[in-house]
Amino acid sequence: MEVLRGRMSCREGLLGLTVAFLCCVGSVRCFGQSQDSEFTFLLPAGRSECFYQTAIKNGTMEVEYQVIAGAGMDVDFTIVSPKGARLIIENRRSDGVHVVEPMEEGDYEICFDNGFSRFSEKMVFFEIIIEGQGGDVGGDDEFPGVEEPDGSLLEYKLDDIRETMDSLHKRLERSRQMQTVLRAFEARDRNLLEDNLWRVSFWSCASVLVMLCVAVTQNLLHLRTSKGKADACSLTPVLVVFPQVYTVRKLFDDKRRVYT
Amino acid sequence: MSQRVRMQFSIVFSAFLLNIFYNSVSSLYFHIGETEKKCFIEEIPDETMIIGNYRTQLYDKQKEEYLPATQGLGMFVEVKDPDDKVILSRQYGSEGRFTFTSHTPGEHQICLHSNSSKFSLFAGGMLRVHLDIQVGEHANNYAEIAAKDKLTELQLRVRQLVEQVDQIQKEQNYQRYREERFRQTSESTNQRVLWWSIVQTLILVAIGIWQMRHLKSFFEAKKLV
Repeated sequence: MEVLRGRMSCREGLLGLTVAFLCCVGSVRCFGQSQDSEFTFLLPAGRSECFYQTAIKNGTMEVEYQVIAGAGMDVDFTIVSPKGARLIIENRRSDGVHVVEPMEEGDYEICFDNGFSRFSEKMVFFEIIIEGQGGDVGGDDEFPGVEEPDGSLLEYKLDDIRETMDSLHKRLERSRQMQTVLRAFEARDRNLLEDNLWRVSFWSCASVLVMLCVAVTQNLLHLRTSKGKADACSLTPVLVVFPQVYTVRKLFDDKRRVYT
Repeated sequence: MSQRVRMQFSIVFSAFLLNIFYNSVSSLYFHIGETEKKCFIEEIPDETMIIGNYRTQLYDKQKEEYLPATQGLGMFVEVKDPDDKVILSRQYGSEGRFTFTSHTPGEHQICLHSNSSKFSLFAGGMLRVHLDIQVGEHANNYAEIAAKDKLTELQLRVRQLVEQVDQIQKEQNYQRYREERFRQTSESTNQRVLWWSIVQTLILVAIGIWQMRHLKSFFEAKKLV
């Protein structure tokens, strides 16, 4: 009987150890892995892309998005609850921040729609930050799995240190999220500026070319009327310049008639 | 005896399931068509590791829900660096994990598409892909580090804080480099606007003078003036 009891307690101990080990594996796996996601993707013209995020009740979900490239820099944004109710609808906005408090458990649908644009594709950056109950940032919890240091005398001080480091970790996570947002803003401004540079160069060249062409074709009529012979080179601008030449010659013909 | 064993087994199994569920509950998912390619852009500094985890599910019409996809269905993952050079191009199964480290700072493009060639495999529905991309310090496997260096909890936490600060510092440096590029582009645009305006004005004035002289000689030749 004693032996049996001994063996049973041993087995229970083993069971407890297995459960603890699995909890450790689980907790240490989430040690340092935040549940937040951020993505930057290309949204083609005339299309709509949707992402789904599972939300827990009594938490908060913060969604932030920004259009960082594309003519017009705007997109339609909607959040639909798991039951199909449209929580947030925004039309043609270039950036936005929304905090959703999930009343229902399930998958929330976050959609970006570029249907109003026919040619320009947009690059959209979005970030989802999930906060559990109690308002702690990210999904990092206490980690009982890893071996704890010995010394009950120091435990009071150790708890203090541990709390300080936890709050430090959370604040650093928050700074990193801010950095991500700033990076998105900078990328958007940089893309806009590079677009502007290309546009300035192109239109400057085009306008100089147009000016030169107009000057040359206007003066060609002088060469044609003074030289009186058709040059092979001037055959192409003739089509453009013919109405001008005809009108001006008509003018001079009339004047000569008046004088004589 | 067998009842006890069963109970113990169920406890272990539920603990196991709970962990799996807890760890996989929050990933973002999206739907992808058969020949569709979805691309994500990650702007990262250099020497940063990125780990991507994905899991696919196929819609089962009979059970009317999404179930894990069959083994034959895989995803093709392609990663391009800022110079459009392919740094990773591999096929993974229905569940996979891809890793790469950036060597140049900038926008890296991660593209996913399914390798299915049979058009009826999707049964008219879409493939549901759960994707999770971890950048930099988040990509570290702390369990492994703790086991390898034999660290206690506090030591591990300090190591994590050091990595976090490192990451923030790298990002700041990259931000400084980007701001410099931005400033260069801005100054170049300003200069171009200024010079082109001056050149256009000079051309206009030169053409005007030339036309006046030409017209004058033309009219004099035609004995109109």
